[in-house]
Amino acid sequence: MKDVVVIGGGPSGLAAASSIAEKGYKVVILERDDELGGLLQQCIHDGFGTILFDESLSGPEFADRFIEKVMRSDVPIELETYVKSVDKKDDHFELLTVTPEGVHKIKSRSIVYAIGCREKNRFEIKIGGTRPAGVYTAGTVQRLVNLYGVLPGKNPVIVGGGDVGLIVARHLYLEGVDSLFMVYPEDFFSGLPRNAQQCILDFDIPYRNRTTVKRILGDKKVEGVELVEVDEEWEMIPGTEEIYECDSLILSVGLIPYSEKIEDLGAEIDEETKGPVVNEYYGTTVDGVFSVGNLVQIFDYVDDAVKTAYIVAEGVDKFLKGIDVKRKKPIKLVPGDKIDTVTPQRIFYEEGEEVTVFFRPGVEKENAVVCLVNLGNVIKTYRKRYLRPSTLEEIKVPKDLFNGKKEVTIRVR
Amino acid sequence: MRIPQKVKKITDESKYNISFVVEEDIVFLKGKVETYEDWVDIGLKIGGIKGVNGVVNDIVWDERKDKASEDRKKRSKRSKKENLGEYDIVIIGGGIIGCSIARELSKYELDVALAEKEPDVSLGQTRANNGMVHPGIAPSKDTLKRRLNVRGNAMYGELSQELDVPFKRVGSLILITPRTMEKYRKYLPGPLYRFFLKHVLPWFVKRRGEMNGLEGIEILKGEEVFQEESGIVDDVISAVKIPSTGIVDPYEWTIAMYENAKKNDVDFYLNTEVLAFDKERGLIKRVFTDRGVLKCGHVINAAGLYSDVIAEMAGTKEFTIHPRKGVELLFNKRLEDRVHHCLAELKIPSHPTSKGGGINPTVHGNIIWGPTAEEVESKSETSVDKEEIHEIMQKYSTILPQFPESEFIRYFAGVRAASFTEDFIIRPAKKVKNLLHVAAIQSPGLASAPAIAEYSVELLKDMGVDLRRDESFDGERKSMDRVSEMSEDELKRRIEEDPSWGNIVCTCEMVSEAEIVEAIERDAESFDAIKRRTRAGMGECQESYCLLRIAEVISRELDMPLNQVKKEWKESQFFDGIVRGEEP
Repeated sequence: MKDVVVIGGGPSGLAAASSIAEKGYKVVILERDDELGGLLQQCIHDGFGTILFDESLSGPEFADRFIEKVMRSDVPIELETYVKSVDKKDDHFELLTVTPEGVHKIKSRSIVYAIGCREKNRFEIKIGGTRPAGVYTAGTVQRLVNLYGVLPGKNPVIVGGGDVGLIVARHLYLEGVDSLFMVYPEDFFSGLPRNAQQCILDFDIPYRNRTTVKRILGDKKVEGVELVEVDEEWEMIPGTEEIYECDSLILSVGLIPYSEKIEDLGAEIDEETKGPVVNEYYGTTVDGVFSVGNLVQIFDYVDDAVKTAYIVAEGVDKFLKGIDVKRKKPIKLVPGDKIDTVTPQRIFYEEGEEVTVFFRPGVEKENAVVCLVNLGNVIKTYRKRYLRPSTLEEIKVPKDLFNGKKEVTIRVR
Repeated sequence: MRIPQKVKKITDESKYNISFVVEEDIVFLKGKVETYEDWVDIGLKIGGIKGVNGVVNDIVWDERKDKASEDRKKRSKRSKKENLGEYDIVIIGGGIIGCSIARELSKYELDVALAEKEPDVSLGQTRANNGMVHPGIAPSKDTLKRRLNVRGNAMYGELSQELDVPFKRVGSLILITPRTMEKYRKYLPGPLYRFFLKHVLPWFVKRRGEMNGLEGIEILKGEEVFQEESGIVDDVISAVKIPSTGIVDPYEWTIAMYENAKKNDVDFYLNTEVLAFDKERGLIKRVFTDRGVLKCGHVINAAGLYSDVIAEMAGTKEFTIHPRKGVELLFNKRLEDRVHHCLAELKIPSHPTSKGGGINPTVHGNIIWGPTAEEVESKSETSVDKEEIHEIMQKYSTILPQFPESEFIRYFAGVRAASFTEDFIIRPAKKVKNLLHVAAIQSPGLASAPAIAEYSVELLKDMGVDLRRDESFDGERKSMDRVSEMSEDELKRRIEEDPSWGNIVCTCEMVSEAEIVEAIERDAESFDAIKRRTRAGMGECQESYCLLRIAEVISRELDMPLNQVKKEWKESQFFDGIVRGEEP
């Protein structure tokens, strides 16, 4: 019997596994790919680790820090492992895994899901038109270019001005496409300003804001796209359609937590984050099932995602020790005015000093005041110099603030 | 009134100048109209005349450019002289109909060839079928459709055993709601409307089914409907349950027919487009293709959307296909428990040319909504727009109000090969005595397919084909092994023999590398061909995880560079180019 199974060998899973192992628990890591590191392995650009390590690392370098740590510990690593099923028994879980070595049953007292997120595809954002070869998600293109040395096409169009889109654009530009065009629905690139500058503006890569792809053209292979202008609500403006010839379309239109499996186990899912509802130690609504990293919500920085892994180690420890200072009814933390998402969504334990709360603003605002509100009364405020929807914010909330309350709303004033 | 007079009445009423000729109950139309809608409309009106056996609609609409036929003329010059072989029967078209006929013919001592222009079978309208094996209640009593549908449906159970393809007789519910006869509500005041919908209309529907030869039809009222299907809209008044309705995977079925026919010595020529015929004394002697020449005794026209082109090519123009697009929404498997029967809301008056689609479970556990029905100008028009997605979401969420209609994972469209007479056209060609048309097979073509194959062989017998049973015929076909369906012990055993059974390349649908390799051994050469055989890429993430992993297996197994791996056709290579500095 294991104490903890960590599903997912990306940075969050690795960090969670080594932190939990340091506390003396029997941990195993399961990873579906044939190497550890998760998505970082295909991110060969730098910029990782500025928060955690105060240096700018490439994806693989950042991953290596965590891989090495796990390697030095005695945590077993099962690669090429597919988790076929997870059954909840009275006091443990039973996992059935499939690997090229065989079929295995693993018993464990708890599970940490660190299975990350996936990219939204063309169907999820309802791009119309045909279904030819040549439409890819940005992650697929990163993998294709960086791991296989193959280009998706000679004249791609990229949709989405977030960080992933910006970085893929620069890669394709440097790796030798003939032409490149980026469109995105916002007023300005939603990725980090430094990425917009270094990936697009510095290379004079053509782009157009307030624009999206309405339809894909071409029966067998992408022959072009129908571009359309959008308004502030991202609604298409009729009459502004325009055909643009290209041979491939790359989508960088958002990430979505891989929450199906955890939902099947009975965990409650947050409509806004699309990930599981978690408490301050990243426990889900199913006892003994935890969730970290991008599965909880989409983080802008892997550094922040990894923070959840350190916190989960405390939660797993409490769970395995049977420490029962839980509140009878967890306090709800809910997004209010001008806030899109909040995690954690529940405050579960009475003891502890403070809670790290992440929230995503719903508006762009300078000199904003972020308020915690209970029954109409502001109980604490935080000043933020600049808020915008594409930047996840973090605040530390003293734990005693929650005492005697049922629900605390976080909003922007 | 005889046919010419009836046709004249319609052309006289038209605002256009339309001339016509009637020959052997086939109406040939000429003239000019302004819009495509008018072109369809007049064709349908004339096709609707009782006794008309075909409408050849040569009316020109607007400045209609017949680009396809020009292209074909150009291509016909490319036909190859090389002799491919001599056959008793040459089938044109590798959809469900062509493949079902091929298998049926392989039971006899005949040399049979099948020519398909696409690189795989089931790539025409078969591919986009929603998989519903209709019971046969919809077609009118005197149609060929009705007879073949009821018979075909009954054949599915046994055939699915032989071919090892999942088939489920889930039954269908025809739902009667306050919206069913909205248009006639004014004639049934007060409680009368509801009374009619609860006690009279279901009886009529049941009676119609019985007249069509269906058995076991039940009428459900109020609570009884929710017992069968709990998610249905609260205000449903009654329902008619038809137990014989089934579901099947249309391309898996077609691939199974193909594999079994091939095993019984039918020669399949894929990537082979028929370009011309060589006739002697009114009989086709040789079929010219872009791959070579097929000598033939008899020819079967099962060319689906292009069956009118084949007929014209053979010099026996006797019907026109007007393409009708259908869009479908496919939902996440996780919603499997929400729908157990094929569901449709009865609407009177019904759509004149389509039963109007519905909500269906699939054998794989997805739920499918649709199809729509829209007349389109092009036979290859399978694009889907946002408006069409919303139309489906709106239309069917009235039946299942709690269903999360935004959780679809894919949308797609297919084109039906409709004729203006709106019935199947299965008969010897009028002017070519060794050509059998098996054409205009639209809905319920899937349900009818086994019976169409059987009937086609009967007709061939009448046309003089000598049918002697082939004693060596083996009708059993074994499906692919699937990791997702294996017991733990079986999977353990497989992995011991070959570790690639334990390498899961598609995590949404749980498909192993070994299955990809087996699909390639079963003639799949492209990503989509593998997808149809293994279901890899059909899950929630829609290929984003498995695409490169599978492309890598294809590249290795077929010994081609990664950037030459195809999605489907030779023109649909996935990737293009290599990064700067890398050697090709």
